[in-house]
Amino acid sequence: MRTDTIIMGGGLSGLACGIALAKRGQRVTIVASGQSTLLFNGGSMELLGNIDGQVITSPLDAISTLPHDHPYSKIGTSRISSLASEAQGLLADAGISMEGTATTNHWRITPMGVAKPAWLTLSENIRIDELDKLPAKRVALMCIRGFFDQPNGMLAHGLRQLGFDVQMVEFTTDDITALRRSPSEMRAASIAKHLMSNNALQRVADQINKLAADADMVLLPSVLGLTDESHFKALQDMVHKPLRLIATLSPAVAGSRMQSALRHYFQMLGGNYLMGDTVVGGNLEGDKLLTVTTAKLGDMPLRANNFVLATGSFVSRGLMANYERVYEPIFDLDVDADGDREQWTRFGIMDPQAYSRYGVATDSGLHCLKHGKPIGNLYAIGSVLSGHDAIKMGDGTGVSLLTALAVAQDILSGNK
Amino acid sequence: MADKMQLCNISENNFEQCTKCTICTTVCPVAAVSTDYPGPKQAGPDGERYRLKDNAYYDKVLKLCLNCKRCEVVCPSGVHIADIIQHARMSATKGHRASLRDTMLANTDLLGTMANLVAPVANAALGLKPTKLVMDSIMSIDKHRTFPAYSRIKFETWFKRHAASTQDAMPHHVSYFHGCYVNYNFPKLGQDFVKLMNAVGYGVHLLDKEQCCGVALIANGLYKQATRQARTNAASIGKAVKVDHRTVLTTSSTCTLNLRDEYPALLNVDTSDVRDSIMLATRFIYNLVDEGKINLVFKQDYKRRIAYHTACHMQRLGWQLYSIEMLRMIPGIDLQVLDQECCGISGTYGFKKENYERSQTIGSILFNHIAQAQVEAVATDCETCKWQIEMSTGLAVENPVSILADALDVEATRKANNLIS
Repeated sequence: MRTDTIIMGGGLSGLACGIALAKRGQRVTIVASGQSTLLFNGGSMELLGNIDGQVITSPLDAISTLPHDHPYSKIGTSRISSLASEAQGLLADAGISMEGTATTNHWRITPMGVAKPAWLTLSENIRIDELDKLPAKRVALMCIRGFFDQPNGMLAHGLRQLGFDVQMVEFTTDDITALRRSPSEMRAASIAKHLMSNNALQRVADQINKLAADADMVLLPSVLGLTDESHFKALQDMVHKPLRLIATLSPAVAGSRMQSALRHYFQMLGGNYLMGDTVVGGNLEGDKLLTVTTAKLGDMPLRANNFVLATGSFVSRGLMANYERVYEPIFDLDVDADGDREQWTRFGIMDPQAYSRYGVATDSGLHCLKHGKPIGNLYAIGSVLSGHDAIKMGDGTGVSLLTALAVAQDILSGNK
Repeated sequence: MADKMQLCNISENNFEQCTKCTICTTVCPVAAVSTDYPGPKQAGPDGERYRLKDNAYYDKVLKLCLNCKRCEVVCPSGVHIADIIQHARMSATKGHRASLRDTMLANTDLLGTMANLVAPVANAALGLKPTKLVMDSIMSIDKHRTFPAYSRIKFETWFKRHAASTQDAMPHHVSYFHGCYVNYNFPKLGQDFVKLMNAVGYGVHLLDKEQCCGVALIANGLYKQATRQARTNAASIGKAVKVDHRTVLTTSSTCTLNLRDEYPALLNVDTSDVRDSIMLATRFIYNLVDEGKINLVFKQDYKRRIAYHTACHMQRLGWQLYSIEMLRMIPGIDLQVLDQECCGISGTYGFKKENYERSQTIGSILFNHIAQAQVEAVATDCETCKWQIEMSTGLAVENPVSILADALDVEATRKANNLIS
């Protein structure tokens, strides 16, 4: 089967790259081995939040100070600004409306109530532009009875630390109570599926209007809008106070919606998305990858001019480790990782972990390396890349989007 | 060496690989509409930990599982969630007798043979209000359902009378596992398949003995009968592949998944030596075109706007690519690929009175997408999706093979493949 580009991995990075290519008329196939970690995303994108523990307010300025092995440095700092606006446009075209700019970070609120620097945040989520100018003083934090995915006490504590005057309001409705028959499934996505009718939303609104009458702003856990933002808008119309959603633990409704929206857009552009299949190997000749083989397509390999590795990090099995080494499981590409297993982790769970910077080694054009030599038509993008740290640097989603679009540009312009 | 410990530490359905991420539950069509069903994580790997201790932990709500396998497809850790649930159901219901209703729904061969004999009467009777009400109240088959019409003449009979004699003269050969639906309800799909294959020089041959693949038997708890039929089919397919050296082609995604994967996984009937030679016709034909071995020429005036629905089992097979790309080869088709959603019928599941409403609610997302797509027809590789979508949207639903056969310029194609000068 001949396509222009095969992308291994169907998460944020793979989809963004696929969309950028398909939009320009390329025939693209994405092979996705299961759902991606985008489902863990609460509704924000980060460009760059921290360097060595220092909070970054102007990510574009700070990016020029990054070491040369950071993926942003490989793309070239001069391209970052235009790629960032292209990414924002791509998300909007897919129906994901987010606010924020690449020049100045705003603050998102994590499900634990911590403020973290962010680049883009879904319009309906709470967002703080400056820490000394909160969007509201008195907030009602709506706590759904029996809900698993919101640590209410921690969240309220965090919000108070930020200066909010927090009123915790426990509530439920008949629709939500019915879900408690399977108490283990009182999860954000399950609730969202039962809050899709106007009647169900009205019952939530009635509770909010009754119980949170004194608040300046109502904060509801993000249990709305698996398909689009219409349920949020409908609820906002029914609620008398300004309403904002607050990210929950995963799998998150926002991430689920972003994944579906991007996949839908990619398929509308003619892309093939193979969910639940895995690339298991490839036919490498010299510095060129000719075909890849998948578990399900079996003896009919996929041919393409270019290949993109967007398989993610350890959690997505784009990287794996055994007792001896860290490795890339499909092609056994070169990886940047310590050889000594003792160096992989630090004891404190909140300490910077060396393994979170591990990834496949690439040249300055993000071509993958094998035995030190670049493979001319195999690129790596997103979390599988080495040299960045989504948790400690707050650069995960930014690296995913920007490396995806940079590689798409390079493929389209025929760069080698 | 370094891998050894980790590799040895994986159980049959690798349930210990579950990281509790809950992604499976977000795509479960049943959990989305029913608060009775706890979702695949709880029903599968979580519940399995308890059931391993004592089967008394078996929860009868597991029968609400559709076996659509969407949970397995999205699992980032490769856990065979649906197989875990199926195995739990099988061991919990061992020795139980299936109800008359379930036995009737599951026995497609028996029912089909009887109905073919009296097709006009059966079709009329099954369509009558009193019959439907009796079936609804006594048999618990929902009255809203329309049984797929039975054909007056079986596909096998048609084939023997009208096609068999000309097949040997073809330069290449394949075998065909037609399935019950083609045989008893809709021989046209089989006829379209023969037309398509013959046009590119492939003779079609029936298996020595074909029985229903057994998917409905498994779903309704008739495991012994399913295993017997699986052995018969495995033997026939084995002969076709190993003695006659023919690929065995199919036109139903669910039969295909059952023959290739469920026989070994659920019934312990090993088909591994012939697995790679059982495939959907669209995959086989796509590959011939891709390798330049055949040429297809389509009618100039064929123009249609069609939506493609990826059946859940098709997604599990991972072969929608072939059907979609085959349809895209037809110049006159404006194809829209629908987001993958479950239609809700899942074989015999939606026919049961207790499941009817759930079945329709599950399907409503897909039906809305189809309505928005503004198409003339829907293409899909699954016959039960076809019944469900036709009943629920009023649009015609066709197998990609029928669409290809319909759009094909047979004479020009035969010339292009040097079968006539």
